Amino acid sequence: MDTPLWQKHWFDRRAPFADECRQARDSLLTDLKQPALAQQRVLADVVDMSAGSVHWRERGYDVVADDHRRFRSVLPVMRYDDFVPEIQHETRTKGGTLTCSPVLRWLKTSGTTGAPKLVPYTLHWLLTYRIPAMKAMWGTYLEYHPELLAHPYATLDTQTVREDVFDFVHGIGHQAISNRHPRVNSRDWNPPWYESPWFGPEVPSSHEGRMYHRIRNLVGKELHYISSINPSTLISLRDLLAEHRDQLVDDVRSGTLEGRPYARPDVAGARRLEEALSRPEFTLTDVWPSLTLYTCWLSASAGLYASKLDAIFPGVDRLPFMSCGTEGVTTIPVDDSLHSQPLAVSQAFFEFVPASVPLGELLETGEPVPTLLFDEVEPGQDYHLIMTQGNGLYRLWTGDVYHVDRVVDGTPWIHFVHRDGVFHSFTGEKLTESQVASAVQRGLATEGLGLGLYMCGPRWSEPPYYDVVAEVPEPSPRLDRALSRAVDSALHEINIEYASKRDSGRLGAPEVATVPRDAIAAYVESHRQAGNTTQYKYRPFQRDVDFVTALTGR
Amino acid sequence: MIETKRPPQNTRREIAALPVDGTELALHLWRPRGQVKGAVFYFHGLQSHAGWLWEVGPQFADNDVAFYVLDRRGSGISGGDRQDLPDVDTVVRDYLTAVAHVRREIGDAVPLSLFGHCLGGSFMAALMHHPEFTTRYDAAIFCSAWLGRLHATLDEEQRRALAAETSLELWDAGLKSEDFTDEVRHRHFIDHDDLAVRALTHRSRGVLLGLEELYVRPRKPLPPVPAAYVSGARDPIIDLDDARVAFRRMTGANGALLQYPTDKHYLFYTDVRSRLVDWASTFTLIQGVDRDV
Repeated sequence: MDTPLWQKHWFDRRAPFADECRQARDSLLTDLKQPALAQQRVLADVVDMSAGSVHWRERGYDVVADDHRRFRSVLPVMRYDDFVPEIQHETRTKGGTLTCSPVLRWLKTSGTTGAPKLVPYTLHWLLTYRIPAMKAMWGTYLEYHPELLAHPYATLDTQTVREDVFDFVHGIGHQAISNRHPRVNSRDWNPPWYESPWFGPEVPSSHEGRMYHRIRNLVGKELHYISSINPSTLISLRDLLAEHRDQLVDDVRSGTLEGRPYARPDVAGARRLEEALSRPEFTLTDVWPSLTLYTCWLSASAGLYASKLDAIFPGVDRLPFMSCGTEGVTTIPVDDSLHSQPLAVSQAFFEFVPASVPLGELLETGEPVPTLLFDEVEPGQDYHLIMTQGNGLYRLWTGDVYHVDRVVDGTPWIHFVHRDGVFHSFTGEKLTESQVASAVQRGLATEGLGLGLYMCGPRWSEPPYYDVVAEVPEPSPRLDRALSRAVDSALHEINIEYASKRDSGRLGAPEVATVPRDAIAAYVESHRQAGNTTQYKYRPFQRDVDFVTALTGR
Repeated sequence: MIETKRPPQNTRREIAALPVDGTELALHLWRPRGQVKGAVFYFHGLQSHAGWLWEVGPQFADNDVAFYVLDRRGSGISGGDRQDLPDVDTVVRDYLTAVAHVRREIGDAVPLSLFGHCLGGSFMAALMHHPEFTTRYDAAIFCSAWLGRLHATLDEEQRRALAAETSLELWDAGLKSEDFTDEVRHRHFIDHDDLAVRALTHRSRGVLLGLEELYVRPRKPLPPVPAAYVSGARDPIIDLDDARVAFRRMTGANGALLQYPTDKHYLFYTDVRSRLVDWASTFTLIQGVDRDV
């Protein structure tokens, strides 16, 4: 039988892809040993690409071309919204306004005002930064798990998708960074599985439909590796296997995909699958005993999925996804460290501000903000991240707070802690997501339990207080009461303003409600919206308490 | 010449400010990051501007050809009154300045083609025949070009009346996106492009007539450079027969006709875009071959 075209592509691309990834990783490793040189190179490149732009000329920023050391004193720290007028101009010119590279796409991500952002995706950024970052990360994965390229069915990649684009801004596609369709040119992202039948634009674009096609194509195959950005996608994969068990078994037995002819009927395979899925606690290794690796975000709130992932991937290795957003890449994994990665010094020009500095307020009032460079940060401290990317968005305050774990060969190894501004304050206590996470973790520890998924939101009452819902193995009113006391006590220690407000009666005691394992995961999954499902995130800190009623009926 | 075995290259996209008579004009450029082996100066039509060429510019640049587009006074992001052409001298001077600027920038050794689309072809023909236009160019491409239309359709009395026109009332060109392309994405763009010029003052039509005069009754011969008239098999906006007659009259033995299999007006928004850019790149680069070396 002839080899299908998608498999020909797979075999053609396997060796070059592995080679490209290895080279990209080697380049990154070299840069990590000479971070100052790498940062100088990035800054020089950014200045070279932007000094001649309309915006830099109009503002006089082009003086930096003669002396790169003036970069931080001449250009202001920016928020995305500060760029909006220039971005609107750039939508008309498609390059030349913020930076001297053609804009190929507008990347879509959620904005603070509800209107999706437009992040410029330029040819220079694609070729020099974004694609090399992807390849370097996959270089690490391949270094540790070369079997992911063992054969055409070895890898299920859910971190990128290929979807037709129907949203355009003045003629140019507006799409998620994870959507790598259509391919810009032969240097664009092109893994061996790019033409695989479960990867292309012909697959349904809904999360559930796409996931079913992935499962159907790979069930019964020797799958080694599942790649994801968010852990919730992996949980969802397991949930959908359970939900669509009967249909899947029927499809395998009949050799169909959603009822249409697809492959040879496989009665024995269907029986094995039915057996594997019949146990309520089935794991993904029951379905694919060949699994050796999964990857996804493992830090911050994503880390709360750890016990669930352990449960569905028993004995399977894991590696982390890079720290990144639509706006750019911050860290890239270079080894099997799970919770810390090196600052990606070849990806952007990075600046830091101690997390204790109210950066948002300073920017609001237009006050100058002194920043630290990569070699001025200290292990053990948290920092706001400011980055200048090669797409024209310079000195962008990302809103992300990172913790510096250590410094290796001059390069900081960091991990994402939380989004700045993700806090609630009834009376000035400014309770942050990480503070609540610590308090819930301490509370559960007093009961001998580990931290899993939880949600927290503000309850407006007399006095106001915080509602917390947490997953535990065996929920009970007794546990609710004990955890409420323990979380309150922990927050007293963690946040002195909270303690002050509690002691003066301006804040009520938190109420913790326990729910069974997977209740929150299911609730979160039910809110996965159509479109951009690949980057869908679980957010523990909520703006309201709607989740309480949904989860507890209270 | 074009390297036939290399991956796609990084390219640059720049917008230079070109001050002419106190107005800042936008000169757009897509160029290779490496050596510029050829250059194209593009004259856009009535409605369009450089912002329409986001797919074309990078492809020229990837072919090692620097692609320049002047947003005409009052068009695109250039300064100047919109929907109004000032006068023949100003229009010609803007182009004289811009093309001379480009020649200085690329140097004498790089072949330069002029490329006029639709009404831009008429501006280009006027410039080529203007006595003060002395900048060397190496090839000329008229694409779906509007050539000699007013002379072909108006009698002498009507032309005299039009030349004396001073009205600032707007004349709607009646352009419809479905005549330009049948691609939904591009039609949506054309229909919603807030920089597009879709109407002109009546007196501006008199200026168009004056520009036509420059090449319908030429005062100087054209240099013996190769020229081509490129179009679809049919064009819903241009009378191709009339336009080709005007083209042949201008270019004589140096002219060639090229036809692509489309019946839409804006070839760059059809399936033939890529082939047209590659052909125009080759047509430009080949002029740089030096047989005397």
